Amino acid sequence: MNFQYLLPFWFFHWCEGTGLGSMIQQSKWSFAVIETIHIMALAVLLGSFLIVDLRLFGLGMKKLTVAEVATQFGVTSWVSFIVMVATGIPMYLSEAVRLSTSSPFFYKMVFLCLALLFHLTVHRRATKSGGAGTGLAKIAASLSLVCWLAVALAGRAIAFL
Amino acid sequence: MHLADFFQWLNNLPFSVALREDDWPFPIIETFHILGLGLSVGVIVWLDLRLIGVTLKRQPVSQVVSQLEPWAIRGFAVMFLSGSLLFLAEPLKCYTAVSFRLKAIMLVLTGLNVWYFHSKVYPRVSEWDDAPVLPWQVKLVGYVSIFLWFGIIIAGRWTAYF
Repeated sequence: MNFQYLLPFWFFHWCEGTGLGSMIQQSKWSFAVIETIHIMALAVLLGSFLIVDLRLFGLGMKKLTVAEVATQFGVTSWVSFIVMVATGIPMYLSEAVRLSTSSPFFYKMVFLCLALLFHLTVHRRATKSGGAGTGLAKIAASLSLVCWLAVALAGRAIAFL
Repeated sequence: MHLADFFQWLNNLPFSVALREDDWPFPIIETFHILGLGLSVGVIVWLDLRLIGVTLKRQPVSQVVSQLEPWAIRGFAVMFLSGSLLFLAEPLKCYTAVSFRLKAIMLVLTGLNVWYFHSKVYPRVSEWDDAPVLPWQVKLVGYVSIFLWFGIIIAGRWTAYF
């Protein structure tokens, strides 16, 4: 499955024709620079999700409650999420036509939607209710890790498949 | 024997050729490398921010270190193992890439930074565990670590591109 089946072809061409898209295509360095920032934000984001999810499992940062850990790491993880989106969109614009036939990219977006949806519902409830090591907490933590790792894996696969 | 000959010899090993020329090993290993990066650098950045005094301020430094450091070390082990394999796949390319040399130097420097922290700074943690403003040596370790790790990511990405 890929986006070619879902969106009209002119859309992908329009993306690459935008000022940002064509500027990145014509520049030798900008894609590499943007991707480097994307990966730095990924490190910070995965790290903070890992810390919160480990806390839900009852591992690490035990002196703070689940809710405190989630709040402390929540703000900064949204900052890095915004950096990831802000660097991801220009990269997409610069190669929208190639990505229209890429199934890893399609699945990355699917997992991203699932991960976000899950994060804002079940995961948020688990961190707010505060219990660590409960059934809800463990399910929320493992599904969260699986979803975000799937986004990262599919993202990596875009470059190779 | 010149150093270049050693890299050439590594490059010609059947194991290296297989890693380089088969379709699957490199992407799979690199995926582990990037995930390991998320786990280790992601956690290390939080430790550094605590040392600088930006985050988790109500948590004593020793608690943050004792709870996060084991995960940083596990992530580093994943990165180091997968990174060694990536290096073995392309020894000659790494030898000639300036970015890889810079990366190797920065890795050694982070090692020295950790050694400095644990041998000279951290033993006296009880004096400043809860302090609102941490001694400059502690902050310095945090700044140096963040600076070096982001440098390592940049240099690593550059090795892949050019």
